[in-house]
Amino acid sequence: MNAEPVTLTVDGKEITVPKGTLVIRAAEQLGIEIPRFCEHPFLSPIGACRQCYVEIEGQRKLFTSCTTEVAPGMAVKTQNTSEEAHHGQVANLEFLLLNHPLDCPICDRGGECPLQDQAFAFGPGESRYQEPKRTYRKPVVLSPLVNLDRERCVLCARCTRFCDEISGDRFLELFARGAGERVSIAAGEDFRSPFSGNTVQICPVGALTSATYRFVARPFDLSSADSVCGHCSAGCSVTLNARRGEIVRVLARDDVEVNDAWICDKGRYAFRHADLPARITTPLIRERGLEPASFGEVFDRIAEWSTGARVAFLAGGRLLDEDAYALSKLARVAFGTNDLDHRRTFHGGQAEAVAAAAPMTTTYRDVERAKVIVVAGLDAEQEVPILHLRIRKAARAGARVFVIGPRRTRLWDLAEHHLCLPEHQTYVLEEIHDGDAPEGSFEARVAAALREAGGEAVVLVGERLAEHPLAVDVAFSVAHRYGARFALVPRRAGDRGALRAGVHPSLLPGGRRVGTEAERAEVEAVWGAAPAEPGRSTRQILQACADRELDVLFLIGVDPLRDAPDAALAERALSNAGYVVVQSLELGALEAYADAFLPAAAWAEREGTATDWEGRAQHLVPVRPTAGVSRPDWEILAGIAGAMGRGLGFGTIGDVRAEAAGLLSPREVSPRVTAWTGTGKPQRLGDMTLVTYPLLVDEGRLSEGASELKAALGEEAFVEIHPEDAEKHGLVDGGRAVVRTAAGEAELPVRVTEHVAPGALFVPFNQPGLAANTLLSGGFSTAASISSAPEAAATEEGVRGAQAASANARAVAPREQEEVAS
Amino acid sequence: MSEPVTRVLTANWDDPSVFGIDGYMAKGGYEGLRRAIAMTPSQLIDLVKVSGLRGRGGAGFPTGVKWSFVPQDTGKPTYVVANFDESEPGTFNNREIVEREPHRFLEGMAIAAYAVGSHTAFVYCRGEFLWPGQVLDAAIREAYAKGVFGDSMLGGGYALEVVLHRGAGAYICGEETALLSSLEGFRGQPRLRPPFPAVEGLYESPTLINNVETLATIPAILTNGAEWFSKIGPAKSPGTKIFSVSGKVERPGNYEVPMGTSLRTLLEEHAGGMLGGRRLKAWTPGGSSTPMLTDEHLDVALDFESVAAAGSLLGTGAIIVMDETDCIVEATRRLVQFYAHESCGKCTPCREGTWWVSRVLSRIELGYGRPEDLPLLDDLGRNILFKAFCALADGAVSPIQSSLKFFRDEYVQHIEERGCPFTGRGPGVEGAAEPEGVGVGA
Amino acid sequence: MGVLSPELLEVAEAIKARYPTGRERSAVMPLLYLVQSVEGSLTREGLREVAELLGRTTAEVEAVATFYTMLRTRRTGIHVVAVCTNLSCALRGANAVFEAAHEAAGIAHGEETSEDGLITVHEEECLGACDAAPVVQLDFANHDRVDPERMHELVAAVLAGEIPAPSRGTAPNDFKHASRILAGVEESS
Repeated sequence: MNAEPVTLTVDGKEITVPKGTLVIRAAEQLGIEIPRFCEHPFLSPIGACRQCYVEIEGQRKLFTSCTTEVAPGMAVKTQNTSEEAHHGQVANLEFLLLNHPLDCPICDRGGECPLQDQAFAFGPGESRYQEPKRTYRKPVVLSPLVNLDRERCVLCARCTRFCDEISGDRFLELFARGAGERVSIAAGEDFRSPFSGNTVQICPVGALTSATYRFVARPFDLSSADSVCGHCSAGCSVTLNARRGEIVRVLARDDVEVNDAWICDKGRYAFRHADLPARITTPLIRERGLEPASFGEVFDRIAEWSTGARVAFLAGGRLLDEDAYALSKLARVAFGTNDLDHRRTFHGGQAEAVAAAAPMTTTYRDVERAKVIVVAGLDAEQEVPILHLRIRKAARAGARVFVIGPRRTRLWDLAEHHLCLPEHQTYVLEEIHDGDAPEGSFEARVAAALREAGGEAVVLVGERLAEHPLAVDVAFSVAHRYGARFALVPRRAGDRGALRAGVHPSLLPGGRRVGTEAERAEVEAVWGAAPAEPGRSTRQILQACADRELDVLFLIGVDPLRDAPDAALAERALSNAGYVVVQSLELGALEAYADAFLPAAAWAEREGTATDWEGRAQHLVPVRPTAGVSRPDWEILAGIAGAMGRGLGFGTIGDVRAEAAGLLSPREVSPRVTAWTGTGKPQRLGDMTLVTYPLLVDEGRLSEGASELKAALGEEAFVEIHPEDAEKHGLVDGGRAVVRTAAGEAELPVRVTEHVAPGALFVPFNQPGLAANTLLSGGFSTAASISSAPEAAATEEGVRGAQAASANARAVAPREQEEVAS
Repeated sequence: MSEPVTRVLTANWDDPSVFGIDGYMAKGGYEGLRRAIAMTPSQLIDLVKVSGLRGRGGAGFPTGVKWSFVPQDTGKPTYVVANFDESEPGTFNNREIVEREPHRFLEGMAIAAYAVGSHTAFVYCRGEFLWPGQVLDAAIREAYAKGVFGDSMLGGGYALEVVLHRGAGAYICGEETALLSSLEGFRGQPRLRPPFPAVEGLYESPTLINNVETLATIPAILTNGAEWFSKIGPAKSPGTKIFSVSGKVERPGNYEVPMGTSLRTLLEEHAGGMLGGRRLKAWTPGGSSTPMLTDEHLDVALDFESVAAAGSLLGTGAIIVMDETDCIVEATRRLVQFYAHESCGKCTPCREGTWWVSRVLSRIELGYGRPEDLPLLDDLGRNILFKAFCALADGAVSPIQSSLKFFRDEYVQHIEERGCPFTGRGPGVEGAAEPEGVGVGA
Repeated sequence: MGVLSPELLEVAEAIKARYPTGRERSAVMPLLYLVQSVEGSLTREGLREVAELLGRTTAEVEAVATFYTMLRTRRTGIHVVAVCTNLSCALRGANAVFEAAHEAAGIAHGEETSEDGLITVHEEECLGACDAAPVVQLDFANHDRVDPERMHELVAAVLAGEIPAPSRGTAPNDFKHASRILAGVEESS
């Protein structure tokens, strides 16, 4: 223990806990449960519900155990040994139930309700209340995701505290006072927060309920499994609930090391994609059209196409660790190629190798405890939401947070943002590294803060930073120079696992370099073979396909038409590739190009291991059997290898894990601190720079079917532009503009905002109305120009609607203009 | 008592000239401040301790000791907050102090600021005091103009800024931590203690909060001496107190008398006796939040200890007088309705308890009471008392428990006769349906 | 921005400046009074504007506004008549005065504001003027010792467009004016 130990007794039992521990926690550690509603271990104590009363020897009044810290020699008596405490609790429950409606039969919370449970265990059997109850119109729709029943609300303020302390989205508040006090939103200001669902889970009654679960099931209907969320690299622990085999709910599981008690709304409400009609659960082979076939048939065909042919593999971010390992081995052993990749940006440099070799060098705890956090090329709230919450947690504890990027993130209230174009991020990082920026500048402040923090600092960079040569290396050097921890944070759930497994043209498992003989030999010792020539990256693979230099293209859980930052190239690649094999849950637009389809099992249908951005491996188990004849990816890949006559040697998933464990134990990698000469004065890409990244709720595959989520948080495509640029180009907020790049053009509604760097045009990557990769030529940013759209497009209603949408999206804008790089 | 009463606070109340700063200073005003800033803060605090002055806002905490709790050298600014939220039913002494001699209070606040090292003082003035707020606004401007407030108080080099902040109608904002919450721009709900306001109060900084009457008492202590003050009234509750007398008396008003004066004296020698010569039935010694007393207690000394010994509390010294024509059940009902209306809603026992009790009392008053209502009210009083987050709920319990203690038969009569014997209304009395037009509940 | 004129926006900044730097949230109450003084009550737009001035959500501001009796989010008359019916005033006949106020203003029970929007009548809690019970406030200006007859006179005067002189101080012109004073915007002489 860090704090000094304190010894006390609870109901006569002695316990020693660190100073500062709350009595209610100490009791829990002894297995003594004290009833409570407003108390929550991750929210600040409030002492509102008065349910957790205990008697403390020597004190006249009862004390709320949730607000009382332990003291040496304290003798606490809970309801188990104190008549007064017991009576106080009974009386309090009688008060709580006064105005509570007898809704249990129709309330979604029934059967898993803390009020039911505690009333049963600690409350009176009957109420003496005979007056009319306070009633409200109900339900109140707070958002398309969350409904509020005010009659059931016990005013514990957990939801409002969550919004204030954890998410910072202060849309839920308590209005009025006395018995009329009620949870509310401001009219016209929806409960539009990517974390809104957490309030439903922590609500101790059925006041806040999910629209997706309304009248859907009772707890005894459900089968449950402990799993890991597959929507991003945060690695949140979740519980999947299925009813008659259909997933109906996802709940957060407590994990202090990873997600505390939270998940984001995408993780919570996008759970239907594996159950949609578009799901294909049998193998298909193209005869005249795509026809059902057996796995054996498809494997044989693939072997036909691939023998002696040029083959490449593209993977998405959906593979579990075992799948990625199987793929990594398959490419090298069965096909003798290093042409495999999962990445979309390619300049991860040193950081990539370190991340592949040595996981857990930077963890959530490190972020939480950091005194200084520098974030570059990462909008955590949109890309890795639970990391965003951790950064907020650190900031509330006093950490200084600095964010570098083209767009202000919703850490705006806790961090200092430096808005700059993507192509200038390297320059900013260099200045921070060199530590000689002009006094008073952002770079000087960051450098000073890092210096002061000693090692208690963290530098977090997103995979988008790896779009620019040297950017990640410079950031890595910044961390190294100031003794800070570093993390290259990928976006997708399978990315870190894929990297570790070596789904990479020049890295083998464990970050061993293809080009370094000694390292390659270690892999050869296990696999028997590993080609020595580094292979092609994702982009190079697509280019090669387009140039007809590849015969068979495997798409393992990826759709380049939507995912690749160059739609035109993807289309050419798929058209010109000899054969396209798709291994996924559905086909979508790939149907036109696929020559074979192999049905993969969803995460919910199988066990496996997922590795989060930290490098933490987490186990998941299935909540239902695999659909149709779909199989886990590793099994399919093993089948392909078998058909090639070069089996992988995996009978069970345990075999995969056992073999991988040897190659994936953490390795020492001496980081080569890259020397570079200054990148010189920052150049602009063009008149304007188009910047894009995926928003949390978009048209991504895994979010299909999540209609309530999209109704609540989804947005039509738009373009954000700084007021100075808007004026220059004659654009108004709510109007329409045409954005042009070398790859194409698109007409979009305009949002004029100070939250984007001058010179930048932010367009979300994949919203209804625009797949932004049609404007890109390989990177997530590119030169662009913008002009007003031709007339007749903007109606007043349209303008107002667009303005309202943009206002709602920017609700809670900071007043002050942040310093902005030119 | 026929000896002249020492007037600490109201000495100049008959002189309209002291309203403005010139008149106030002509009568010796701000001399106390002059003396204060010539002392060291710790000498000043000792002086107030020696005087024995206890807070006049209801808690009765020794003022000098409270001042000494404010830590120095924390690196954070220290604040003084004057509690002018006066909302305790029956209380109106703060208001008249400000309306007649605002500078006496401002002077006391300035002295307090100097004592604790504060350079910014806030006056939290209840919103409904539109005129008194305007009076203060003008007085503060005058004080700035005269060099009393600003960069250098009376030229002594100590800076003090004074900000007037108005409330907006919430009795709970008279509670210290709720006041701070309101002043910070949040809902006026009380906060957890610890941390205590002295250490982490306004804006998480050391803060001294004092009642207006308490502060207004300070200048005289400076000019006339702590010893002088400590010898007035009983040793443990020295000084004078302005008692606000209202209800069924001939002359409702504020009366400054030494602590320890009895109600009998107040009635006979100041408030003109019972209205219309009627008989005293019940009264509160310190506002509605203090348990009612009866004619048995006419001679109880009105000081902190003696009133507590009699089973009540001195509170704000707001004496509400009821006579034999007044219905105690209705009085209790109305008071509990007040607490239900003013409950902030944060905690269960207050929010739900006052709601419940006010409904039961309404039924009883209207003639729809049941025998089981009385033991129920006893039990609810016990379940609310000391169980809530703050003392507002305890204030609600005072009229409930004391009325049941002294006037239970009146409750029984309402229940048995199915109506109110005083208003003559109720199904048992009229034989008719529930009378219309009687507002119940918040 | 809609509710506050450019001049009043400057006033709003001055109000914020009363409080220490970084603590401008304290200005929410006077700013709500300011907005109330323009519109006569707190509208959606008014709340939103205060929220924008303070960089907070509308919900945070509305949470504060709905907590207090004097910040009115409901429909409010040009004039507000508040009749204290707490114990000290009730003992001196305040309930009959409250009845009289409803009658005189032609407001049915259960309603607060007259149909023509001229007068709002509501009960009040202790106004701290019990020496002059029964106490009535017209736009927060005190009227002492009001009996039912006097109540009728007061309301009649207001309906006729005359503002009766209060027992102390000067009468605001109407509720908006009173709100303006409460925002601390008017210099008191």
